[in-house]
Amino acid sequence: MTDLAPVSPFDASPSAVGRIARRAPIDWTGIAFLTGLAVVILLPLVVTAVWAFAEVWRFPAIVPQRMGLGYWQETLSRTDVWQALWLSLSITTTVTVISAAICFPAAYAFARLDFPGRNMLFLAFLSVQAFPKFGLIIATATIFLTLNLIGTFWGVVLIQLVGTLLYMIWIPVSAFQGVDRRLEEAARDVGASPMRVFWSITLPQAAPTLFAAILITFVNTFYETDAAWLIGLPNVRTMPMVMIAFINNALEVQYGAVLFVFLWVPSFLLMLAARRVMGADAFAKGLGG
Amino acid sequence: MAQVRLTGIAKAFGKVTALDAMDLMIDDGELVCLLGPSGSGKSTLLRLIGGFETPSEGTIAIDGVDVTHLPPERRPTAMVFQSHALWSHMTVHGNVAFGLKLRRLPRAEIRERVEKVLDLVGLAGYGARLPSQLSGGQQQRVALARSLVIEPKILLLDEPFASLDQHLRERLRDEVRDIQQRLGITAVFVTHGQDEALAISDRIVVLADGRMQQVGRPGEIYAEPKTAFVAGFIGAMNMLDGTLGDGEIAAGGLRLAAEGAGPARLAIRPEDIALSEPEEGRTVTVRRMIDFGSHVVIDSTLSDGTHLRIQTDKTIRVETGERVGIRVERWTVFTEGEAPRRYSSDTVRPFREARYA
Amino acid sequence: MIAALRSGMMGGRLSGLLLVALPVALLIWLVLWPVLQAMVGTVYFPGTGFSTASYAYFFTDDYSLRNLWLTLWVTALTSVLRVTVAMPIALYLRFRTGSVAALVQALALFPMFVPSVLVAYAFIRVLGPNGIVDTVLVALHLPKLASPYLTPAGPIIGLVWDGLPLTLLLLLSGLGRVSIASVDAARDLGAGSFTLFTRIILPRIQSSIIVTLAFNVLGLFSAFTLPFLLGPASPEMMGPYMQRTFSDNADPLNATTQAVITFAFCAAFGLIYVRAIAKGRKGPA
Ligand SMILES: Nc1ncnc2c1ncn2[C@@H]1O[C@H](COP(=O)(O)OP(=O)(O)O)[C@@H](O)[C@H]1O
Ligand SMILES: [Mg+2]
Repeated sequence: MTDLAPVSPFDASPSAVGRIARRAPIDWTGIAFLTGLAVVILLPLVVTAVWAFAEVWRFPAIVPQRMGLGYWQETLSRTDVWQALWLSLSITTTVTVISAAICFPAAYAFARLDFPGRNMLFLAFLSVQAFPKFGLIIATATIFLTLNLIGTFWGVVLIQLVGTLLYMIWIPVSAFQGVDRRLEEAARDVGASPMRVFWSITLPQAAPTLFAAILITFVNTFYETDAAWLIGLPNVRTMPMVMIAFINNALEVQYGAVLFVFLWVPSFLLMLAARRVMGADAFAKGLGG
Repeated sequence: MAQVRLTGIAKAFGKVTALDAMDLMIDDGELVCLLGPSGSGKSTLLRLIGGFETPSEGTIAIDGVDVTHLPPERRPTAMVFQSHALWSHMTVHGNVAFGLKLRRLPRAEIRERVEKVLDLVGLAGYGARLPSQLSGGQQQRVALARSLVIEPKILLLDEPFASLDQHLRERLRDEVRDIQQRLGITAVFVTHGQDEALAISDRIVVLADGRMQQVGRPGEIYAEPKTAFVAGFIGAMNMLDGTLGDGEIAAGGLRLAAEGAGPARLAIRPEDIALSEPEEGRTVTVRRMIDFGSHVVIDSTLSDGTHLRIQTDKTIRVETGERVGIRVERWTVFTEGEAPRRYSSDTVRPFREARYA
Repeated sequence: MIAALRSGMMGGRLSGLLLVALPVALLIWLVLWPVLQAMVGTVYFPGTGFSTASYAYFFTDDYSLRNLWLTLWVTALTSVLRVTVAMPIALYLRFRTGSVAALVQALALFPMFVPSVLVAYAFIRVLGPNGIVDTVLVALHLPKLASPYLTPAGPIIGLVWDGLPLTLLLLLSGLGRVSIASVDAARDLGAGSFTLFTRIILPRIQSSIIVTLAFNVLGLFSAFTLPFLLGPASPEMMGPYMQRTFSDNADPLNATTQAVITFAFCAAFGLIYVRAIAKGRKGPA
């Protein structure tokens, strides 16, 4: 017997936006955090970016003596840079494609199918998290030694692939689980076959998260250093390895800076795209690896 | 003595104005319900009284003392929250005793007061349990006890029983009313359920869009709504858009006596419509008859298709598609910017008489 | 009908196993088997039998012990620092909304987008010798700082920076379980900020803090890139030490021994962390 009549606030005055011109109290705590974080988080990155465009910057000048694109030309005409970039892109692409091809179906199975040992196998994937990562890489590298995979393209691909397994399975598992069963059942109801349901309902619904998982895998693999170092060097020299060489050998300071600006900006945009699709939490778990 | 006076209260969150132009006086020992749809500013008003928010404008005084800028713990108020506000890592006793411990009372006194208040809310002997071992209703009783134990002058309740089922909610609200009367404290109760408000309050404050629509006793608000919003919000109501002119209001094919000119809204309670013999301009078509047992509601359409709900005697039986006459006994006309005008017809011939004559 | 259902289920079982077969095989081949091999292979040698010589060596070798000690205290200090730095930010973000809070969150999570190579590079440009901090100090006619670069403070600063976002998110998800109403209720009764934190908030997020610490220990104990690029050459943390033993000294036996020792030191934390995530995400329904 309630609300028979449509409730419309006929007489309720429209909210008086504008009439109230009061100032919200200023969030001083927040501003303090903001200032602290801006210095600590942004300053290092800004300094790096400035170095990329500094042609001459001698201590103790606060700003560079001369700015310009000179080092861009110099850095980007080095053959080792282009070789490493090409190698890194092919390793990363290979890893991402294989990883998606084997992990997504597995994730679907974990999320939707009932098979013996399902929970135990999933737990096995989680248990990888219980080991310190570099220790695992050492253990795997010992096996690679006997297989002559150290310092080879496929050795690096394999070790990177293993590193991606975890989040390429559990992010998609939650994506598939997030697809409302009732949507699938409704499709079955109107006569769609299970295959048809998967392609027309389940996959499109889960697609954004799957796509985000692919982006994260791509960027993470590209910048991976631990495994690339131990398994790849000295023959397989990926992009981060070249960057580390630039840092360590203290060639021109600007080489490193230029590469960072050159490579990091696109990867940052990719990651932002991934982040838009996923909640911060799921995203962090992906990176938490 | 605990009396609350709000003067010219307004509250803005950034660009959103949650409350505006609020003047209200709550008397000692009164239970006032804040009633309104969700987002109308009820919680904001309550939190302002409790000290969890500071008004952007205006002052709040308790017993004549300006408390506008005092924090919650320095006001003689205690708040009961909607849900999840129990500390799950403490026992029932721990939850209730917390406020007393902060006041550094002696152990024996704390124990005694906690037991007394648990008894009051009907939870004697539950002290050692964890909140997770209680039912939803019991958890809210603990929350109530936790607020009552510090002997506040003013009890604030923000939809305390909204997450409970109807039956339990009715029982608990009666208990709250009971306790409030027994202790003689002032209480402000936020709800979006009109039944709840009508059932327990001394006075109701109807809010919409951050503004007070009407303040009054339950019966008054039901019988004499001051705005079309209140008319539509409290109780069942037929609201029809119409036009005034020639001493009449014409709405949905219905013509009733009314003064004025221009667009207006016509409000008729379903129980203020009686059935009679069909007559030109007073006829509706039955769409459906709903039998509530105690009474019957007829969902009908006017000649232009507008729905009209009619509440009538439980002995009445009509068929879908049947055309029946109606007689409107009381109606209210709302015109923008003017006080509502109420009319009643004194020439009512009961339907049964007409039909079975 | 029942027969059809059953065959459908059997099909589901078989295809389920088939679908997970490849990743599981990879997992067994490249993770579980190597771990087993590392554990067995460092104590059992075909032909010669059991020997714990490599462990005995590690625990008597002065250099190894110094590396282990460095790793232990850097890990402990860094984990605690991360939580100490992230906690106030997390508390602020949990109980405040608004545009300033949104900005604070974006900034605090930003290091998530920065690969560790870039962290190392930027660190050197800022805190290294003649970095921007020195530049500013000189401009202000102040004495230069002793640079943390190539001292244990180097990796500690870098690792705190790098790990802030994940620590923050873990703490935030723990704080998510503390309802604002329950904090308001305590304020209403007169609890001050210290009482609020110790009596109401802390007891509710204890387990999250433990999980956060466990997660941090796991990541830090064998951290490699930042300690290698920013830390001292001797003693060195376990990550760089293992790498040098494996690659430069071409001594897989001792490298594996070191790896097994890091496993052992992290076992308890690993258990805590995996239990927490297994419980939290339950895995497949
Ligand atoms: N902390 C806040 N920040 C921003 N807006 C708020 C906040 N609290 C309430 N509001 C806004 O104020 C209005 C009134 O909210 P509220 O008092 O909670 O309504 P009710 O309790 O009647 O549902 C809503 O529009 C709501 O979005
Ligand atoms: Mg509310």
